[in-house]
Amino acid sequence: MSAAPAIAARPVARETGNAVPVTVVCLCILLAWYLAAIPMNWVITGPKIEAAGGGLSNILSFSWNDARPVIPAPHQIAQELWKSVFTVAPWSVKSLLYHGWITLSSTLLGFVLGSLLGIALAIAIVHVKFLAKSLMPWIIASQTIPILAIAPMVIVVLGSIGFTGLVPKSLISMYLCFFPVTIGMVKGLTSPETTQLDLMRTYHASTSQVLWKLRFPASVPFLFTSLKVAVAIALTGAIVGELPTGAIAGIGARLLQGSYYGQTVQIWAALFMGSFLAAALVWLVSVAERFTLRRMGEKP
Amino acid sequence: MAGPVISARELSLVFQTADAPVYALSKVNLEVEDGDFVSFIGPSGCGKTTLLRVIADLEQATSGTITVNGMTPQEARLKRAYGYVFQAPALYPWRTVERNVGLPLEIMGFDNAPERIARNLERVNLKGFEKKYPWQLSGGMQQRVSIARALAFDPKLLLMDEPFGALDEIVRDKLNQQLLELWDRTKKTVVFVTHSIPEAVFLSSKIVVMSPRPGRIIDVIETNLPRNRTLDIRETPEFLKLAHRVREGLKAGHSYED
Repeated sequence: MSAAPAIAARPVARETGNAVPVTVVCLCILLAWYLAAIPMNWVITGPKIEAAGGGLSNILSFSWNDARPVIPAPHQIAQELWKSVFTVAPWSVKSLLYHGWITLSSTLLGFVLGSLLGIALAIAIVHVKFLAKSLMPWIIASQTIPILAIAPMVIVVLGSIGFTGLVPKSLISMYLCFFPVTIGMVKGLTSPETTQLDLMRTYHASTSQVLWKLRFPASVPFLFTSLKVAVAIALTGAIVGELPTGAIAGIGARLLQGSYYGQTVQIWAALFMGSFLAAALVWLVSVAERFTLRRMGEKP
Repeated sequence: MAGPVISARELSLVFQTADAPVYALSKVNLEVEDGDFVSFIGPSGCGKTTLLRVIADLEQATSGTITVNGMTPQEARLKRAYGYVFQAPALYPWRTVERNVGLPLEIMGFDNAPERIARNLERVNLKGFEKKYPWQLSGGMQQRVSIARALAFDPKLLLMDEPFGALDEIVRDKLNQQLLELWDRTKKTVVFVTHSIPEAVFLSSKIVVMSPRPGRIIDVIETNLPRNRTLDIRETPEFLKLAHRVREGLKAGHSYED
């Protein structure tokens, strides 16, 4: 038997990624969920179980399969998702894709408007000194107001002057998501080093040249970090915008209807749809980030 | 051109700080002629970088007068009279080498940018690195890119603030040699800040010895070494005599004391 060379004996980290830990965590959550569903649903299922004569099999089947449970079991949510995504036409009001699209469209519009507003405010704050002092407190104050308190007012006021549907919801998204963009971009636009700025001064570069050739490119990593936060809360804003208005379409409307009629399975399915949308949006921003930074010569 | 490229008379600069004013420059008198290679040498805090920054209009003097090409530093800066090389390369990391060199050309609106970029990359021996990003280059190469960038718009005056300070001695020797050849070929006026005595003596036609607290000029030495010298010159008696005189000047200015 020959001794292996020492250098090869060192274990090499395998490129398996994080599939194993993610799976383990998911399984733990599922297990905890199923277990918790038994006591949480007891108010509803307890009498039924007793009527059926008790026993473990009855406990499990009743706790995990009630039509209107306090908390549905994961497979019930999965079934509802499957049913409302794949078995109905995407344009029907029963389709979660339809409701998802309604929410997504106002999310996207709000995200674009909010990002543009955030960038514009940051550019103004960086260039005009007194704005940093006068505008910043208002920007921060705007985020301390509970969105649930102003969302109905926005919707009602805009509705009274003829704006309904997409635009008011988008404005709520915009209101929430401009903030991280402003904060991130102020940081990003002021991130160039003194020498990089001095260099521009020696060239007698104009303010807009400094902005476009130095400040803006330097702020791109900050921008994408902010956009990831912004896109997720834009979705929250759109959903919140659908809640107080009696909207008949959108994830928020779906949540509201579910709670009116005690359809917990439907609520949870809508919640999951919302999470998938958020995850997809953040992922898309990350892809754009990687692509852009690669194009800008970032060290891989 | 008639008259000196840079002329300073009784130039002083005081920084007002929280506790006590700092006399960064005190009554500095200096003339830099066309085609000179002038080095400012001295310990940290002697005002050599500040003086360079006043010439570049990156700082303003508090009293005295200074002219660059017969104008105020601000007018000279607005006319893009000089190229400035910083201590750090200060390349823009999202730009390739050629686009970094092209930056001043974009800003100033030159129409023959590609030709100028190619010429100046060749001048600093970086042909073939056009498409590289700064992080793909060594520190010495990055600094050469920044020199090519300063030369790109062909300023008559080159201001260099310890450009080789962060590099090891072997790379520094090589770049000193290249810089000297560049100076000899292009007939530019160079003002060069350093704290290395051999570097100052080797490169300069005129050495300005400075001293701290307050920042002032102790000695101005005309070297009279041939323009096209090589590194071997550092072994010659003339070279050693000049280095000795610089060291004596620094000593007289208490530069070696704490």
